[in-house]
Amino acid sequence: MQLANQTNGRINIDPDKAEQGLAQLVLTVVELLRQIVERHAMRRVEGGTLSDEQVENLGVALMNLEEKMEELKDVFGLDAEDLNIDLGPLGSLL
Amino acid sequence: MSNLLYLYGLVPSHEATTTPLPSIKGFDHDSVIYSISLNDVTAYVCELDSDYYSEETISDKINNDMEWLQEKAFHHHETVQQLAKQYTIVPLKFCTLYKSEDSLKHTIESNKEKLKETFKMLEGNEEWNLKIYCNDEQLKKKVSESNASIEAKRQEISQLPPGRQFFEKKKIDELINQELENEKNLFCEEIHEKLKKISLFGSIKKNWSKDVTGRKEKMAWNSVFLLPTPNVEEFIEEIKLDEETYGIDGWDFEVSGPWPAYHFSSFT
Repeated sequence: MQLANQTNGRINIDPDKAEQGLAQLVLTVVELLRQIVERHAMRRVEGGTLSDEQVENLGVALMNLEEKMEELKDVFGLDAEDLNIDLGPLGSLL
Repeated sequence: MSNLLYLYGLVPSHEATTTPLPSIKGFDHDSVIYSISLNDVTAYVCELDSDYYSEETISDKINNDMEWLQEKAFHHHETVQQLAKQYTIVPLKFCTLYKSEDSLKHTIESNKEKLKETFKMLEGNEEWNLKIYCNDEQLKKKVSESNASIEAKRQEISQLPPGRQFFEKKKIDELINQELENEKNLFCEEIHEKLKKISLFGSIKKNWSKDVTGRKEKMAWNSVFLLPTPNVEEFIEEIKLDEETYGIDGWDFEVSGPWPAYHFSSFT
């Protein structure tokens, strides 16, 4: 598999580098979920139904999650583009 | 069964008679390209065995046989390019087929006035293509640093607790992305309008994805121009100058031509 640092948006499984391919696939799914959660949280904050304390806690949690994601990307030598896989006619994932 | 005709392009007959065509192999490598004249228009074609080639088999090859498609598309392009070097040409799209000489002649006859106008428009002019690429991260940095309202917002949120700040920063990022798209469009439109002034026509095309371009930077603009041949040098110089001026901000210009005038000549 040669996906790391490539920007063609496809995941090609190469038996010799299966670990890397799996890491990319897993991180892509995690990143998608993280972004969905983040957008949902933004809407809740904008909606004004949360207390200041809840907003603060949510913001810190999301910030930590974002930092952790950056660390994992570094560990596996991936960048944002590598996690944005091509869904063909549906466009890019993220 | 009679053979099919593969049509490469149409040229004015007076040019076709004065400059003979060198021998060029046809689409299937067996046939040779020849001309069929109908009054003012000469068509360059080759024969294709209808036992092997039909609308269905070609469509199947195009969709399923990349190697075949690459070889044949290259052949079509090379042939049309060679014809364009010698003649004023209305280039035809890849795999334009006619069932018989009569049906081709009938189509030419019913479009002769349009063809006459097109030949007149293309004579002495060249088609050139400009693609503009942009390093989004580099430009984003510039937009973010030079926009006063973004800077003011940044100052405003710097006193907020970190959790709240996180959400506000996301809003700023969204604003920067919007500004970036506006900036890119304004910049490219300005370049396009400037180049249109020295062209006969300028037309905007769809941007290609990174898969097609194979480049790391995103394509920001894709346009074609029909230029009077004497203006080509000025056109290229203008782009070179823009490259020198704006390259530092992350802009990259790719100019190519002359191309057969695919975008400025319609036949039917």
